[in-house]
Amino acid sequence: MKKMWLIGLNTFKESIRKKTLYIILIFALIVIGASKLFSFLTAEEELKMIKDVSFSAIEFFGALIAIFGALYAISGEIERRTIYTLVTKPIRRSDIVIGKFFGVSMIIFVNFILATIFFLGLLIFKKSPPDVEVLKTLLLIFFELILIGSITLALGTFTSDAFNIICSFFLYIVGHLTSYGKELIERAENIIVKGLADMLYTLVPNYENFNIRDKIVVGLNVSWGYVGYTILYGILYMCIALFIALYFFEKREI
Amino acid sequence: MKRKKGYRYFLAIVFCFICIHLVQVQIDYRKKLENLESALVLMPGQMAGSLILGGFKGLAADLLWLQMETYWHSGQHYKILPLLQAISWLQPSYILVWTIGGWHMAYNIYAEVKTPEEKQFWYQQGIQFLKKGLAYPFNANKYDIYFELGWTYYHKGKDYPNAVKYLEKATKYPHPDYVDDVLAHAYEKNGQIDKAIKQWEYVRDNYVAFYDIAVRMINDLKTKGKATP
Amino acid sequence: MAIIETKQLTKHYILGKKKIVVGLEKVDLEVEQGEIFGILGPNGSGKTTCLKLLLGILFPTSGEARIMGKFPDDIEMKQHVGFLPENPYYYDYLTGPELLQFYASLFSLDAGTTKKRIEQLLELVELKDAKRLTLRHYSKGMLERIGLAASLINDPEILILDEPTTGLDPIGCRDTRNLLLKLKQQGKTILLSSHFLSEVERVCDRIAIFHRGYLLATGTLDGLNRQYQAENLEDLFVKTICTFDNQASVKTGETT
Repeated sequence: MKKMWLIGLNTFKESIRKKTLYIILIFALIVIGASKLFSFLTAEEELKMIKDVSFSAIEFFGALIAIFGALYAISGEIERRTIYTLVTKPIRRSDIVIGKFFGVSMIIFVNFILATIFFLGLLIFKKSPPDVEVLKTLLLIFFELILIGSITLALGTFTSDAFNIICSFFLYIVGHLTSYGKELIERAENIIVKGLADMLYTLVPNYENFNIRDKIVVGLNVSWGYVGYTILYGILYMCIALFIALYFFEKREI
Repeated sequence: MKRKKGYRYFLAIVFCFICIHLVQVQIDYRKKLENLESALVLMPGQMAGSLILGGFKGLAADLLWLQMETYWHSGQHYKILPLLQAISWLQPSYILVWTIGGWHMAYNIYAEVKTPEEKQFWYQQGIQFLKKGLAYPFNANKYDIYFELGWTYYHKGKDYPNAVKYLEKATKYPHPDYVDDVLAHAYEKNGQIDKAIKQWEYVRDNYVAFYDIAVRMINDLKTKGKATP
Repeated sequence: MAIIETKQLTKHYILGKKKIVVGLEKVDLEVEQGEIFGILGPNGSGKTTCLKLLLGILFPTSGEARIMGKFPDDIEMKQHVGFLPENPYYYDYLTGPELLQFYASLFSLDAGTTKKRIEQLLELVELKDAKRLTLRHYSKGMLERIGLAASLINDPEILILDEPTTGLDPIGCRDTRNLLLKLKQQGKTILLSSHFLSEVERVCDRIAIFHRGYLLATGTLDGLNRQYQAENLEDLFVKTICTFDNQASVKTGETT
């Protein structure tokens, strides 16, 4: 357990030393820029725009950090051969994988928290303290980011860096389109096609589940039930990603 | 050397996917309940947008196209227009957008609106949309849009000189047989009886399916100077 | 009983349909406690493959490898093994002491021992002045030396070194050699691979010559020289390899 933590900590340290956190500055600039840009609007309109931009930016930059952080965590170590020095130490391969997962989660968490503090600060500054719906949105974005990270981590145990990036971004896009696919599935008449499509719908990570910001921003509410189920979904999928990572990493020849 | 506990992970993964399926069913149910999914259906642009960013223009156009189909079958013709504009912008080489778009305006919306001024307006819109499609070189080398233009002029606008002009262009490129047939009719309506007879002879000699009608038309034209009712 | 042993250790790399590259073919190797054992061979002869199989970085196609009687996936065994990979790459965002600290923590060393040992090792590899430099700014020789320090952090009983002197200048080579001899005096077992013949000649008690994945000869240098009627190691090396290649070509000549 302690060793997992050490691996995680080292992964986190790497991201700090490599200055990935600077991306938060870009985030801050975008959000501040947006709030200046929209200042000619009425307060209510402006607030909507700020929320729109902030949620999207938190998710987008978070996804970038998650993908690249996770990429460096395992496939990066394999590619740079630093992994030799880990697997020859008295530490189980499974501990390395889980430690890396902790590390990536930490990276995502710190980035997310910084961005969130900045965003909430801006809301308070604009005299509109965040309500519980905003927090729900942020919570779901956070779980989405962790899921993105763990999927990239899992892919990294059996693919090359380049393929991993392509795959991760592809899944990110496709994962946001699944709801639309669902509609098509319901229209399908062929039972086999429908069955296959249904299976695919389950297999592909459904990132769109986590996307409630469009509703929240225009002032609608989402129940805790929905949020709860979606978080459960996220955790389950994370477990799958971890199992895949463990399976491949334990038999991987480096 | 034991390193064959892989099946355990496999079982765990399968188990998790079963759980995920159940959870997803709940989520989908709740999406319906809380009106979370409707946004997606009403705003295809949201997804189309993310696809454009990803460089998947064609796919985005397809999504809009599917959306258009829905509107089409539910009779919401007006809603189709912005979609057509967007698709034609995303994928100008998708020739069906232009032909179907022109047809929607000059025929379907034409039929829906009440006053003659409005009807004239939509007819012109349709013609202009088709001409815009021709502005792209890859469309100017195919018969489709020329034929659609010619047909619209001929059938809807009764503008025979223009009909002949575009149908003649359509026959210059590989085309199906009915294009020649329509051109023959257009010649006649445009008063070019000689050319009409020649065109019918061409049709008679080349297309078996049109043989009977071509023979009758040539006969009528030669005897009465008029064939199309 | 040998402290490191392999039995019929074989590694085949499968490349596409029916195309197999032999990494290592039925190698029986025994390294006794307290000796310096050198694995010699030209590039691509299976030296690194053999070490990787011993450490569980690769998995054997057949046969087995044991260190202290334990299989390579044994955690307890790795507590007593130090490894220096070939052309070592380390976490280049860490400084030397941080790197050692990290590895020490993986060996669960207590804080006091860790601190003392880091000081000693930095002294030993003469990197005391570079304490605050991140590894990104290290030269190749410095990397090789910090690697050596890292492989000694747990005060291992068995030291496995893959090409330990590749990036070093003559003085560095000499220092490393002296260090190895000193470690031997402390009773450590050292298994090293190299294609630098002179280095091997001076430190190794016994050697093994690898070629194309086959183990051609093992024994003391003198014994092998006598056996092959060679004058020195270089001569021996060339002779064994040539003999093997000739035999191999005769064999393939017969079959085709």
